[in-house]
Amino acid sequence: MLNKVLIFSIFATAAFSHDMTPAYPDLKPSHVSGVSKVEMSLFNARSDVKYYQIEVFDKNWANIPFSSTYRIIKLEHKERKNFDVYIRNMDIDRAVYLCTTSKISKSKSTRPFVASKICSRLDGPQA
Amino acid sequence: MKYSAFILAMAALPAAANTEINGMVEAKCVIQTDTSGVYGNPTADKLSTASSDGGVIPVVRYDVAIADYYLAKISHPTEFSSSPALSDTVTWTGETSVSQTSDAGMSAYDTNKVVYGSTTEFDLTIAGSTWFKTTSTASYGFGKAFPGGNYTAIVVAECIAK
Repeated sequence: MLNKVLIFSIFATAAFSHDMTPAYPDLKPSHVSGVSKVEMSLFNARSDVKYYQIEVFDKNWANIPFSSTYRIIKLEHKERKNFDVYIRNMDIDRAVYLCTTSKISKSKSTRPFVASKICSRLDGPQA
Repeated sequence: MKYSAFILAMAALPAAANTEINGMVEAKCVIQTDTSGVYGNPTADKLSTASSDGGVIPVVRYDVAIADYYLAKISHPTEFSSSPALSDTVTWTGETSVSQTSDAGMSAYDTNKVVYGSTTEFDLTIAGSTWFKTTSTASYGFGKAFPGGNYTAIVVAECIAK
């Protein structure tokens, strides 16, 4: 019929995971006055993903300003990395979600087909 | 002299020590891609993950360590992340449901799910693993044939602390 090959896929690979803890992180004072710190840990078991984006949101999923060593954090396969997120005290009451989202590579050979996003809650109980 | 005798007596006792192993189970969500998904191309204007259309339905697994701490939100695709140039509109449909569970009580997730737009939300009220399958269909134009080439689309799997 048509002399063309079409390859369509949603997921290219199997058994890859994304994991972030804690679910309810503690807000701690930082070395900068007027700024609080959250300590997080991210584990990448996805061999098809190397970069994760860090974001902070309010209850309506509007972005909250924050600072971190990484906005986009690079993690090799099976690597765990601890990172700190700094939020101004004036924004603390609005900050609800701290999320990491897998980033998609433009490279065709390593392009992932599932975007994973894990969000911890900054206003929740301690786990 | 007395002290020396005491020290010698202590040294003669068999050595014993207790070594503790500590662990903690904390609220945690792990998102895992379980099954590869593939679009079948049953007709020129249709791409579908349904097995009857020659596709493979993708499955994502959520592992939660403690009950009632997370919501799962899964969105089926509403656009291609990469494709050949398309000159007409693509109509998307899809659905997410529970395909397998580690606990019988999780079968209620399907009954209690909330669907809005392309997103389906599940309240993960039981600790353990749940597998979710997401179907996706793309129809091109009005009976138009999809141009030849590679098409990729993305399922977004989110795990949100409650």
